[in-house]
Amino acid sequence: MYFEAESNGIKYQVNVNETRNSWKVSLKAEDQEWINYEIAKVDYLTADGAISLIFKNSSYLVDVTGQDTEYTVYTRGSFRTVRIYNEEKILHESLKKGGGFGGGASLDSGMPGKIVKILVTPGQEVAADTPLVIMEAMKMENEMRAPRDVKIHAIHVKEGDAVESGAVLISYES
Amino acid sequence: MLFKRVLIANRGEIAIRVIRCCRELGIETIAVYSDVDRNSAHVLLADRAYMIGPGPSKESYLNVDKILAVARECGADAIHPGYGFMSENADFARRVEAAGINFIGPTPENIVAMGDKLSSRELMKAAGVPTVPGSDGIIRDIEHAQNEAERIGYPVMIKASAGGGGKGIRVAFSPSELPSAFRTCQSEGRNYFGDDRVFIERFIQNPKHIEIQVFGDKHGNVVHLFERECSMQRRNQKILEESPSISVPQAVREEMGRVAVKAAKAIDYVGAGTIEFIFDNKTKEFFFMEMNTRLQVEHPITEMVTGVDLVQEQLFVAAGRKLSFKQADITQKGHSIELRICAEDPVNFTPSPGKIRRCRLPQGPFVRVDGYAYPGYEIPIYYDPMIAKLIVWGHTREECIHRLKRALAETMLTGVKSNLVLHKNILEHPVFLDGSYTTQFIEQEIKGKKQRQLFMFVDEHVFLISAAISAYKDSKLRDVSNFNLASRWKDVGRKTSLRV
Repeated sequence: MYFEAESNGIKYQVNVNETRNSWKVSLKAEDQEWINYEIAKVDYLTADGAISLIFKNSSYLVDVTGQDTEYTVYTRGSFRTVRIYNEEKILHESLKKGGGFGGGASLDSGMPGKIVKILVTPGQEVAADTPLVIMEAMKMENEMRAPRDVKIHAIHVKEGDAVESGAVLISYES
Repeated sequence: MLFKRVLIANRGEIAIRVIRCCRELGIETIAVYSDVDRNSAHVLLADRAYMIGPGPSKESYLNVDKILAVARECGADAIHPGYGFMSENADFARRVEAAGINFIGPTPENIVAMGDKLSSRELMKAAGVPTVPGSDGIIRDIEHAQNEAERIGYPVMIKASAGGGGKGIRVAFSPSELPSAFRTCQSEGRNYFGDDRVFIERFIQNPKHIEIQVFGDKHGNVVHLFERECSMQRRNQKILEESPSISVPQAVREEMGRVAVKAAKAIDYVGAGTIEFIFDNKTKEFFFMEMNTRLQVEHPITEMVTGVDLVQEQLFVAAGRKLSFKQADITQKGHSIELRICAEDPVNFTPSPGKIRRCRLPQGPFVRVDGYAYPGYEIPIYYDPMIAKLIVWGHTREECIHRLKRALAETMLTGVKSNLVLHKNILEHPVFLDGSYTTQFIEQEIKGKKQRQLFMFVDEHVFLISAAISAYKDSKLRDVSNFNLASRWKDVGRKTSLRV
């Protein structure tokens, strides 16, 4: 099964095939050669409610959450969110404008909270990583930053607003 | 007579810490909780539990009337405030005592005396406790600045009275740098804040946060329990503490203890308290910053190296007993480090509330975990993101660090982001290992690092392969269910044909 994936800012092509006794996974990072792994099913098994993965003789206890196009992998105290698209989803994404890799078409609230300050105005062009909004949640003020170079289209909240998880705060121009 | 029933006006791990202590003493425990905390572990563990309001702290854990009403209703004879929330609220302490209930903490007068940073510093200065050397008031001109800087000792910091946000602050390392620093500061003050008054303070070059645990009783005794180093901070909040500090020479350690006892005696301090010092790692001088009139988050490391149960002692002192130890009884044995495990992004420190999937905390010799997380627990958005403290003990600092690494390797926390990997990185860092780290460590060595650099304990491809296999399985599952949905008739037909 063919996928396209993005992990930690790097794009990959991925092939996954299941045989009776193993998982065959091939990865190709941009401008790199294909790397082929064959992982025996005994090296990828459920243990203690998680996945015990023995990879290059390193023992990882892995937990994977998520579904559809976004999976978060937890292991050894680290975690990584991997965006992954099968052929159907790749088609779907290519039809959507502006979406897909590198953040969506808007800045959404990841958790319920209160808008403390809005740092940009509509029409403004900002570089990746520029703070856009300061939001208060869990007793702390958090800066929410631009995922890439964007032009601000509209601001959908005002300072002092309480927002729910998933609320659209700012939309970008496509 | 010790208490029969203690109400704990707090939540999370500290509420559980107090419950544990009470239970060991045969005291009944009363938990209070906000409606979002119904499934919080402190409610599950207490003998009795009372709902006191909705999620926001103001309407529940800070609701004095409601907490006092519960205390009266259930016949509590003492209230433990934990840390945070009502712990340093003199008015609360007064109202508890007025209701005929024991407040397990300092006197309201103690809280007031140390409540204001500026006035407490003046108070301590008068008691002979060293404070950061500075000019007496505003600097008039360059000559005045030179005289004051000479008296204070270089390097000095010139600060605009109204300054802030990095503006209006200049450092002069020698007399030759002073005039221009003074002039720039004055003009920045005038331009940015409309106020050109400046003052001078000693500039602490390698600042460390060293604090001394003190304990007083109602009979005038005060004892110190040595130091904790808390220089590892992010957002001005501690994330790793250790005791003892390898930066403090023995003679200085004893002097700090003496000074801390003097400071506590100056205000007739009762109960557990902490005197915070800013420590110059270059000159080994220390200066009073503030006093926390409560039990601290990091109290377990002192318990580990001194063998004193600080919460139990709090209860004894509140009940009117004399301290159960004298200064000569207190020694430091071995080394202890505490890591604060927080549900937050390890790189930019934004909180990550959500549902915990897997939670396996370390066990084994000389490992203590004070926490309240469990699998399936949803971390509420209203409170602190710290969900557990990992505390270990070792004969030496090296052994302690190795044990911490072992404990972290056993720890699994998934479903929410956590700072576990940040701790792993700190424990490998040469500046932490040699003990020279300052309060600037996170800012200088960690902040702005990419996840890639921090996540060095995992082969990148492990993330990708795991996600890819999951995505593959999910796709297959969807295909099968689609097939079935589309052809229930065929499905039934096939099953029928299999019957003989």
